[in-house]
Amino acid sequence: MPGYQGINAKMLQVPVGPGHEVFSKRGAMLAYTGPVTFEPSATAGQGLGGALGRAVAGERSAMMHVRGQGTVLFGHGGLHVTVVDLSGADTLYVEADRLLVHDASLQVGTMFMGEQGGVRGMVRGAVTGQGLFTTTLSGHGSCGLLSHGGVMELPITPQRPVFVDPQAYVAHRGQVENRLAVSAGMRDLIGRGSGEAFQLQLSGSGVVYVQASERKI
Amino acid sequence: MAVQTWNAASLPSNDNVNPYAFSVDLDGRWFVQKGKMIAYYGQIRFESLSSGALDAFVAGAFNSPMYAGDWIVAEGRGKLLLADRGFDVNSFDLDEGNLTVRAGNLLAFEPGLELKQSIIPGFLTLIGTGRFVAASNGPVHFVEPPIRVDPQALLGWADCPSPCHHYDHSYMRGAFGAARMILGVGGASGEEHQFDFSGQGTVLMQSSEVVMNEDTLLRDLEGQISMVGTSGLQRLQSTIAQRLAAERQS
Repeated sequence: MPGYQGINAKMLQVPVGPGHEVFSKRGAMLAYTGPVTFEPSATAGQGLGGALGRAVAGERSAMMHVRGQGTVLFGHGGLHVTVVDLSGADTLYVEADRLLVHDASLQVGTMFMGEQGGVRGMVRGAVTGQGLFTTTLSGHGSCGLLSHGGVMELPITPQRPVFVDPQAYVAHRGQVENRLAVSAGMRDLIGRGSGEAFQLQLSGSGVVYVQASERKI
Repeated sequence: MAVQTWNAASLPSNDNVNPYAFSVDLDGRWFVQKGKMIAYYGQIRFESLSSGALDAFVAGAFNSPMYAGDWIVAEGRGKLLLADRGFDVNSFDLDEGNLTVRAGNLLAFEPGLELKQSIIPGFLTLIGTGRFVAASNGPVHFVEPPIRVDPQALLGWADCPSPCHHYDHSYMRGAFGAARMILGVGGASGEEHQFDFSGQGTVLMQSSEVVMNEDTLLRDLEGQISMVGTSGLQRLQSTIAQRLAAERQS
């Protein structure tokens, strides 16, 4: 089964067939050929418990269960689309809004920010506007991420942590610890700051996806 | 990266300056949508379609009174630069052909083409021989029927029959679907409605544009009111009154 194929920077072609179903963001289908159906999905591949967790967490971006036999084109709001392939080794952390489409074979979860970085993680969630929960994807399969202006892939190594503007952060994968680095001083309090008071510090080993813009979805 | 500086002589002739701007080598007349001209060199006048002097000319090529207010005629000699909201801009040549394109995305066309309103609201059809310039959100993607396209992702189509509506509510069937319908849980997939293309031809797509041009839809509706009889008008009035009352409550 051929995988996800980028038509251009903003369009993604996904084959759908028996045993190869996908979940996609609601309203993100651009076109399709063949007998393909779109069914609203409350659980988006998670169990009932997961669905409840998502509802509580506010990480509930409406998803559709896409199945049938054919080819579907996805895109959303003129945003750039990036394909990430997961080989089962690591977990992808991404905000639910930014998830355009993912294979049904991937395990979807919701993670409480506190698990990664404790109270700091919660502060981070509040500051970045990411909420206190984030969506996790693991297993074998592909997914498409939305970004404004395309993403850069920055490697994270133990010797070399990466600092990212929280608004430019899209997703990350690997064994990565994140914390919010605050460099706010008196100047920020009186409105004369650099505008870069908060950064996301990602350390460990993995990859972070950064968009070339500070616009949220 | 060095930024190239253009002048009247070095600007491309009827070609893209960059993916987001197009340079028309004007010698005569072109139809241009209002607000899409960003700069020009040379002696160019911009006349509204209703100015009177161009009546005979306009009548021969512009066949849509509903959109006449959105368009102007650029007349003279020079280089005319066109752009639209940072969208990708492309030019297409038609040779005794016909092509339908979303009204808001058509920037300009040569008078060799004749403009008509499409049966599908919000779309314009060009017939004849000549060049036109259109904008798209992201590069244009060409596909062949049979295909079903989301209305917002549809940029236009060429040579194939007009599309029909396709509604997919299959998930409302069965016991689970009935429960969904009664209880209202589960929501909609957001993909119930597509345009269905069949036959021979080409369909042009863009990455979805969230903001629909409501203005053109409204004018299409207004244009069709003349076809409705008195009883129909009364029914419309009551429908509108109901909608308005509901809007005020929410």
